[in-house]
Amino acid sequence: MLSYLARRLAMTIPTLLLVAIAVFALVRLIPGDPVQVMLGDAADPAQAAQLRAQLGLDQPIPVQFMHWIAKLAAGDFGRSITNDLAVLPLILERFQVSAVIVLVAVAAAACIAVPAGLVAAWKQNSLLDLSIVGGATLLLSIPSFWLGLLLLLLFGLKLKWLPVIGYVPFAENYWQAATFIVLPIATLTMVEIGVLTRMARAASIEVLRLEYVTHARAKGVPEWRVLARHVLPNAFAPTWTLIGLVLGHLLGGIAVIETVFTLPGLGRLLVDSIFARDYPVVQGCLLFTAVIYVVVNLIVDLCYPLFDPRVTVA
Amino acid sequence: MRRRCPSPSWAVGLAALALWAMLGTAGAETLLRTRLNADIRSTDPGTNRDANTDAVVAHVVEGLVAFRDDTSIGPMLADSWTVSNEGKTYTFRLRQGVKFHNGATMTSDDVVWSLKRWLDPTTQWRCLSEFSATGIARIEKIEAPDPQTVAITLDQPTALFLPTLARPDCGQTAIIHRDSVGPDGKWIAPIGTGPFKLGEWKRGQYMDLVRFDGYVSRSEPRTGYTGAKDVKVDRVRFNVIPDSSAAKAGLLSGSLDVIMSLSIPDLEELKSRPEVQLSITPALGLTGILFQTRDPLLKDVRIRRAIALSIDTAQIVDAVMQGTARPNNSALPIGSPFYGEVQSHGYAQNIAEARKLLLEAGYRGQPIKMITNKRYSFVFDSSVLVQAMAQAVGINIELEVMDWAAQLDRYNRGDYQSMAFVYSARLDPSLSFEMLTGPKATQPRKVWDNPEAQEMLRQSMITDDTAKRQALFDEMHKRFIADVPMIVLFNGAELTALRKSIKGYAGWLYPEPRFWGVTVE
Repeated sequence: MLSYLARRLAMTIPTLLLVAIAVFALVRLIPGDPVQVMLGDAADPAQAAQLRAQLGLDQPIPVQFMHWIAKLAAGDFGRSITNDLAVLPLILERFQVSAVIVLVAVAAAACIAVPAGLVAAWKQNSLLDLSIVGGATLLLSIPSFWLGLLLLLLFGLKLKWLPVIGYVPFAENYWQAATFIVLPIATLTMVEIGVLTRMARAASIEVLRLEYVTHARAKGVPEWRVLARHVLPNAFAPTWTLIGLVLGHLLGGIAVIETVFTLPGLGRLLVDSIFARDYPVVQGCLLFTAVIYVVVNLIVDLCYPLFDPRVTVA
Repeated sequence: MRRRCPSPSWAVGLAALALWAMLGTAGAETLLRTRLNADIRSTDPGTNRDANTDAVVAHVVEGLVAFRDDTSIGPMLADSWTVSNEGKTYTFRLRQGVKFHNGATMTSDDVVWSLKRWLDPTTQWRCLSEFSATGIARIEKIEAPDPQTVAITLDQPTALFLPTLARPDCGQTAIIHRDSVGPDGKWIAPIGTGPFKLGEWKRGQYMDLVRFDGYVSRSEPRTGYTGAKDVKVDRVRFNVIPDSSAAKAGLLSGSLDVIMSLSIPDLEELKSRPEVQLSITPALGLTGILFQTRDPLLKDVRIRRAIALSIDTAQIVDAVMQGTARPNNSALPIGSPFYGEVQSHGYAQNIAEARKLLLEAGYRGQPIKMITNKRYSFVFDSSVLVQAMAQAVGINIELEVMDWAAQLDRYNRGDYQSMAFVYSARLDPSLSFEMLTGPKATQPRKVWDNPEAQEMLRQSMITDDTAKRQALFDEMHKRFIADVPMIVLFNGAELTALRKSIKGYAGWLYPEPRFWGVTVE
């Protein structure tokens, strides 16, 4: 187990280095630079050159890259070009907001989707199955920003149950914080339920066809016990992999939800930084997201044997 | 018979209730909530800045002079000034009793210190280059003969000295207290003289401005960034809300009081809401179609003119701006005091003439790439309409949509055939022409490379004789229309939506809000 962990961690180093090179190159390939965005249509060439030199953007790209990597190795993600804040604390602060929403949403989606998928598989081709599959497909097809806006209009504007804009951290006021993140979590949960339900259903159908299920039924094991003891644990393993993927995907792609609900999260930081061509922040956010992906996948792999004992890590 | 009296405990309770109610009323804070589409960059005026930064900081700091509603220059921290020595020395008489936010009284010493800080290259003041050898004039001397007088000597006369000092993107050349920076010279926060002080700034969430109770207001009526600044709310909160739909929902739900820079579709939707009022003000920005006059095809003025004659500017403006803006083919904005009868003559649609010009030029339907963007919906809509109208006379325009930063890059390099573009507000007519006029060899972003126009522009920057300047701008307009380096379409409008409870708000030519004189009922 420990050697597996060490090998997996060692493998992440070249992965992250490749990501760093790709991120750096891609960001520099996009036309426009932070100086142009800052100075806008009144960019005096002398002033632009001065600002570029001050930000180190006049250096050759390989020099800029080496400078960045050397700083990264020392744990320094650099400073934001637009507001001169240290990038890593900025990312960590914003990540807290995104992490709470994504973790709760994925957990809630899994809690709903896995039983729903199981029931749909159990009652395959029945009206119940059709309704669950139909509902899942519908949720899967709705763009998250549109669903978010609908919820915002209904619960924020029409019913006035929840605040429409703003954010309060949990550390400041627990109850208020909850009111601000209910809708984003609900939106993400609904969107992810679609994917997970379909996966859980497919996995459950596979398991329901296996001989040990027929055997258990033949022995007279009650149906609920067959489902709970034999089908669910075996069907959950592939779904668990998908949950890992969803978690990573959401952390990278939560920008839309954070924009709709005006949450100061990591996704919005990334999008704002791309538009401002704030290179250190864009690079930092993308690298950080890559690290999260790697960590989540590692956790998923390490936890897999818990759900499927046939899989061992060594 | 015993008379019934109110029991003492009941009376005490009633009194306590009344007191609580009074205290409650007295303690209620008036808060005005508005929106920024992105967070501000810093609090250092005119340095690390953008339009949002300028808008917020303009409530906190003030300069010697400021723009009035009509873009003329008025006094702010200076009460008056004289110009002597052939237009080179400006002597400002300062207002008495002006207080900084830390309670200190402003003197000429503070003015000299502030100006020297802006002129120090390490400050990285945006407008430093204006006062360098290649700028409008070099500042040779700053003196303070007495605590209420400051004299600034330039190396050459210029009509743009005061307008540049007042420019909002220069941070109005703010006069700040020296404690705004630390002993190491590093910026801390602005200790200004403005009607608001900085409050809490939660990055990415909101910026609060708090009323400065020690503010000594000017007596003239509010005008532009000068005149009376009577603050009637305790606090203004600028919420950072990037998404316009969320901002609109915030306004309709009552979570926001004011949202600025509405798009036309938003305006249409909000018009019908009873709880909302609208403020529509002409703006100074400029939307138009730029041509690369060095392009093998577009260097032929006949093709450029054919495009100009193929379009109906009024129809485009009507469709794009829904009646909130007027057509204008002049580089000078309609709101400028220098916009007159001459500037009202532009391009009149003439399909036959356009076709004739194309034939003469030997145009055979070669594609013309036009860069546009969706950051500004009115720019994109304009480019689509220009494309359609030009197509009617056989001109083949292909649109290429880019994000704003990418388009700016192409603009600055002059790397385009044509592009639909929006210029930010310029508050002086010389600056309106300056943003367009210049040699492309050294300044590729300039669209109008005409040496005679450059000389006229230079003259307009030196002389402060209004009649002489008017004559120069008139002549430049005629040549601009003849050369067709770009087609100016309109100046746009500043569209603001407010809850009905907000009174006293007024937009002005410069597209930024002013929250003094505004009440929340």
